[in-house]
Amino acid sequence: MMRRFFASLLAGGLLAGVGAHAQDTLAPLRFQSDGVFGSIDLAAAQRGFAVYQGVCASCHGMKALHYRDLEALGLTPEQVAGIAAGVKLADGHAATPNSRFKQPPLVSRGGAVPPDLSSIVAQRSGGTHYIYDFLTGFGPAPAGVTLLTGHSYNGAFPGGQVAMPAVLHDNAVAYADGTKATTAQEAADVAEFLTWSADPNLSTRHAVGVRAVIFFAFLVIVAVLTKRRIWRERG
Amino acid sequence: MRVEAKQGWLASRVPGFTCVRDMLCESRSPGAPWLATLPTLLAAMLVLLLASGVVLAPFYDPRHAYAALQTIMRDVPGGWLVLSYHQIGASLAFALLYLHLFRILLVRGYRAPAEFGWMLWVKLLVVLLLAGWMGFVLNGGVGGHSSLFNAVNAAMLLPGIPGAVAMWVFGGASGGATLARLLVFHALLALCAAWIILMAFAADKKARPVLQGPGVPFWPIYAAQYFAALSVLALVFAVLLGFVPHWGQGTQNTIPAATAVIPAAISYPWYLTPAAGLAGAFPGVAGHICAMILAAALLYALPWLDRSRGARHGRVYMALTWLLGVDVLMLGLVTAFPMGGVLPKLLGLWFYFHFLVLTPLVTMMEAA
Amino acid sequence: MAESTAGPDAVPPEAGRRDFLKILAMAGGAVGVGSVVWPLLGALTPGAGGKAQARPIINVSDIAENSAKAVQWAGLPILIRRLTDQQIAVASVVAMADLPDPAEVSSRVAPGNRHFVVVVGLNTGIPCQLEGNSPTDPRGHYDGWVCPCDGSEYDVLGRVRSGPAKYNLAIPRFTFINNNQIQLG
Ligand code: HEC
Repeated sequence: MMRRFFASLLAGGLLAGVGAHAQDTLAPLRFQSDGVFGSIDLAAAQRGFAVYQGVCASCHGMKALHYRDLEALGLTPEQVAGIAAGVKLADGHAATPNSRFKQPPLVSRGGAVPPDLSSIVAQRSGGTHYIYDFLTGFGPAPAGVTLLTGHSYNGAFPGGQVAMPAVLHDNAVAYADGTKATTAQEAADVAEFLTWSADPNLSTRHAVGVRAVIFFAFLVIVAVLTKRRIWRERG
Repeated sequence: MRVEAKQGWLASRVPGFTCVRDMLCESRSPGAPWLATLPTLLAAMLVLLLASGVVLAPFYDPRHAYAALQTIMRDVPGGWLVLSYHQIGASLAFALLYLHLFRILLVRGYRAPAEFGWMLWVKLLVVLLLAGWMGFVLNGGVGGHSSLFNAVNAAMLLPGIPGAVAMWVFGGASGGATLARLLVFHALLALCAAWIILMAFAADKKARPVLQGPGVPFWPIYAAQYFAALSVLALVFAVLLGFVPHWGQGTQNTIPAATAVIPAAISYPWYLTPAAGLAGAFPGVAGHICAMILAAALLYALPWLDRSRGARHGRVYMALTWLLGVDVLMLGLVTAFPMGGVLPKLLGLWFYFHFLVLTPLVTMMEAA
Repeated sequence: MAESTAGPDAVPPEAGRRDFLKILAMAGGAVGVGSVVWPLLGALTPGAGGKAQARPIINVSDIAENSAKAVQWAGLPILIRRLTDQQIAVASVVAMADLPDPAEVSSRVAPGNRHFVVVVGLNTGIPCQLEGNSPTDPRGHYDGWVCPCDGSEYDVLGRVRSGPAKYNLAIPRFTFINNNQIQLG
């Protein structure tokens, strides 16, 4: 009973949150998850998972996630089971929805280890936008910069030299929903996916927050009025 | 009838059992200010901290602290909410305690016969600071881990009995085994805090001046005021919870302690920064420790450092008290956003100078 | 704030409105406290993962006749065996007097599905894992399970037939949720 009551409260909040936001736009760059009222753009995050799975997963793990967690992005249990079944774990078995994301074999590129991406958005100042800037920041090194071996130039990365190669390019993945897979689109989508993975409760938190603030603001008014009246009467 | 008979039976056997009923019927002097509700709000936050702590404890694993927090936030139903209760509850508890202590300073509510109550509030501050630091460490993030690493290494350098006590607390190099101990101490300190605040309430009640005139009953007059104050607190809580859940918590604990990252400066939660700043006022490990002990001792001894008689508020001392507030605030800021130079040291030293020199001197002069 | 207008006993003119406000405030307070406490209890309630672990669902459609499947549950080996009609017939005619720990067939097979026997696969003499799940395993004189440690023998229903063990194999709590799946616990 109670649980259903609260669930419907939450669901209502989520819908309101989604309705209130326009689609992500790349120019100017804006994510639906931005700001204190932001919520995860589930379609973008689903595409972002495709990018992660197709491009990043060979180097970066996400060990805080299970495949079943993807249901929160709007995938059906069958779709999730299908995704998991397509992953062959290190022990040779296929993954199940309850398996954690497959850990890639540890690669070390000149001593730099690809960080786990589960919470990367929370761990970098600039969050979602930094990830986007980082992924689109690769380019030729400016004159006068000599790159260390195995490093690429990246204007967004502190120091400018990163041991990760430029991995995104147009059509690096084929999107199931027909969105055009430009480099920028892929970067934005995987950034939204990583935003979700760093804070899977972002949408719920904001919905709960709005409700709680409205309720307690109302309660403050009632309580202050009550207090005033009682103090006026009883002196 | 039955109920009353029962209460009589209990009251005759368990002293203090009727304190809630007594409080509701109690007559108080009319017109108490809003700020007088601070201790009650603080108590509410401590209750929330205890309740959420009890819920979090079974999911916590000192040997895999970071992973345990990830599990709480991701896999425990509503775990992220309970963790936020605990983190924001701690933040607000400190905010309320700092405000309350400052208010006592301003109204000079630490003087006899309220000095025992004041000492209890200072004790509560010490206990909460220790518990708060342990909570910061228990996160299993890089920030907490380096702080623990520093503390344990400092403790190992201590000679004699202090060193033995420190090692008895930490039990060796910082890691899972240390966190297992700190978890126990964290919980013990929480219980101590609950006990101290009850004592402080009792002491404050005893120290209240005898009623002149009829007074007003607690229920519903003051109950209405407390209720309104609590709802304001709940509103502030809701804003933090929904929109800035990590405000003032430091950012380094999002990175697991296992990664080979050693931060140049530890970003403490805001409520630990003044204490960290005070510790830094004296050089060396022994200096930091002595600084902390001295700071607590000075606050503790304030009722005797203040040499004034009567209720008159000296202007200069009042101004100095405000200055102290600003000083502590600034000290927190320069610790949170580290800067070079002598300013942090000066701000720290001012605190000791204020209590050790200015307070006795100025109050004595203004009393004359 | 506290200017007094009426004595404590005078009936204030706004009594009705004040009562409404008071009730509203108290109700609001109760809802507030409730909504804060609710998530605390919610977090203590095991989530989907925890419940699935506590009461696992096991597929039995893949068990061949005359063999048993072993699953681990709560640290115990649980054996689920599918009997042939002939084995049930043989077990039914055993005289109770011949059994060290007499038990009817109906008390040993799964209610509603008498082809299945579900037992804890631990010898009741000295604790030891039993053999006999597969038709090619040693099964002793009674076609059931034998204990490799002390030689006790059990029949197809898990009833002890020869010693040193004195008691039948324990039966865990379970239910058939459909013809193909049972839920333990
Ligand atoms: C060839 C392996 C490889 C692939 C594929 C790869 N990365 Fe990386 N990544 C690395 C390495 C190595 C580092 C560490 C770089 C360093 O510290 O210099 C890194 C670092 C990062 C960082 C951290 C940057 C920082 O600020 O420290 C992010 C974010 C990141 N990768 C995201 C991604 C995403 C998203 C993808 C998929 C689109 C991806 N990576 C694909 C190897 C890879």
